[in-house]
Amino acid sequence: MIEVKDITKSFGRKKVLTGVSFTASKGEITCLIGVNGVGKTTVLNAIMGLTSTNSGEILIDGKKINKESYEKITFIPDTITMLPTMRIHDAFEFMNDFYQSWNEERAKELLTFFRLQGHERISDLSKGNKAKVNLLLGLALDVDYVLMDEPFSGIDIFSREQIADVFTSHLIEDRGVIITTHEIKDIEHLIDKVVLLDNGIILKEFNAEQVREEQGKSIIDVMREVFRT
Amino acid sequence: MRLKLDSRAPVYVQVIRYFKEQIASGALEKGKEIPSRRELANTLKINPNTVQRAYKEMEELGLINTEGNLPSKVTKDDVIIRQVREGLLTEAIDTFVTSVQALQIPLEEVIPLLKESYEKERESGGI
Amino acid sequence: MKNFFKLLNFEINRFMKLYVVLLVTVFVLQIIGTIIAAKGYMRMANNAVLQGGMSQLEFIETYEKFSISNALYSVWFLGPIAIGVTALLFYVFFIWYRDWFAKNTFIYRLLMLPTTRMNIFFTKATTIMLTVLGLVAFQIVLLVLHNNIIKWIVPKVYRIDLSIIEIANAFEYLSIIIPNGFAEFVIAYGLGFSFVVVIFTAILMERSFKLKGIILGLAYISASCLLFLSPYSIQYLITGKAYLYPEELFIVQIGIWIISVTVSLIVSRYLLKNKVTV
Repeated sequence: MIEVKDITKSFGRKKVLTGVSFTASKGEITCLIGVNGVGKTTVLNAIMGLTSTNSGEILIDGKKINKESYEKITFIPDTITMLPTMRIHDAFEFMNDFYQSWNEERAKELLTFFRLQGHERISDLSKGNKAKVNLLLGLALDVDYVLMDEPFSGIDIFSREQIADVFTSHLIEDRGVIITTHEIKDIEHLIDKVVLLDNGIILKEFNAEQVREEQGKSIIDVMREVFRT
Repeated sequence: MRLKLDSRAPVYVQVIRYFKEQIASGALEKGKEIPSRRELANTLKINPNTVQRAYKEMEELGLINTEGNLPSKVTKDDVIIRQVREGLLTEAIDTFVTSVQALQIPLEEVIPLLKESYEKERESGGI
Repeated sequence: MKNFFKLLNFEINRFMKLYVVLLVTVFVLQIIGTIIAAKGYMRMANNAVLQGGMSQLEFIETYEKFSISNALYSVWFLGPIAIGVTALLFYVFFIWYRDWFAKNTFIYRLLMLPTTRMNIFFTKATTIMLTVLGLVAFQIVLLVLHNNIIKWIVPKVYRIDLSIIEIANAFEYLSIIIPNGFAEFVIAYGLGFSFVVVIFTAILMERSFKLKGIILGLAYISASCLLFLSPYSIQYLITGKAYLYPEELFIVQIGIWIISVTVSLIVSRYLLKNKVTV
């Protein structure tokens, strides 16, 4: 389980996160939704130890992030994390060199799944294909948790569909997934848990299916209520 | 396999209903294998955990049976299938009756219209 | 350790293209410079001897023999060295900032490697040191080549041949990059390495605290420079003359570098582990 406990973060005088707490479990897809503000990405960066926080604590299966954690949890930011001059198979080689959790077979499977070629140079790829390679590099690691920052933003509809397919496929298996988004429409039936974040404050944390069952409300209904007040 | 999801109703309930309709109409024959949880999640673009829950519930209702690691199969129990069919029919009639009664229209006036509409639908291949 | 070498190999490969361009530039410009100087001298000599009626001896007495020094002070020779030094200085900063500011944010990948983040620091520092040494080695090879070009263009009567060591001794600016002795080597490259480590630390301060970090970083660089200069400045400022023997000064300097490198490494490790932000 990923436990985010009461984290606060400011850039200078500007408070980006204020007392943010939530949990994300293995085998569940947790969606961090924010209509505005930069808080979402900062939360993911903080979980990954890619930025400092002013206070609070983040635990991954009960432990603070350390170098070994990167074999257990990975992050797919909204830009590709490899050099533009690399070919896809160079990126594979790099990952294979450094990560024990790198699963070459899965990587190749994903390559086929996304209909990409290993010899393609990253800088030559379309935006959608770059997003796919980026996703691939994270998903081909045998890790327990995958964090994704806006995996659907700014790419064409077909790439979006393909990426959405990943969530229901065996490629996610029983991993814990946290994704951020500002646009819920494509994925509202895919996610288990919703965390609503606005201007650095957690407004609500709920199970999507439970809200539908007990209150007859859609995720968007809840968002409407919460963000309008 | 197509399913238009209502975002205000629990997805697992909608999945169960979908299976009930398929079983009642005979589209899913008794004893037939149903897709795995993962496959169904993928086809319907819904969360695998939700499918899992729907399957579990259907198992409890006796709609499907799973033996060991084999794929789940539609029940062969005619009693259950009949019950499902009757349940859905009762539900549909209830809805119909409620709407018609709200309009204060007598049954004698409704029946010929109902018949006509039903035939028309069947001819156009709707049923 | 295995990760260090893999990462080092990767860092060096990333610089290779640019580095080769740099070496080729130095090569082409310096060789052109030497050819121009040697040909120019020979044109002058031929004019004077063949048309002006001067004897070879008279010409040599008036104009002196040609040596590599005739080429060494030209823009053709010094320019490429300046380009090389500037490029490497620039690269000290670029080697970090490109990972943040390029379109593809490689810093995410680097910081998420399942290895100590100090490996990133050490591979970048090693890359800088290796490329500096590489450039120096290349320059030495080039000096040999210059000598051969001179031999090829200028006949024996008109020239003085200097060995590499003689060249390095004769030109002070070359003796810094081509030290003649172990102590000089340690002084020149020890100072260079400490300086790189200090700048890296300042960069990490900026990357951790942004605006405040710039001020902190600049303060850190200034303080380190003062510390580096202190063995010289203090003795002159206070006593007006040197009171340390060169050997003593050498030891004091080494002590200062060890302190500054150690402090920088501790600070950098802390920043990389806890503070640095993508």
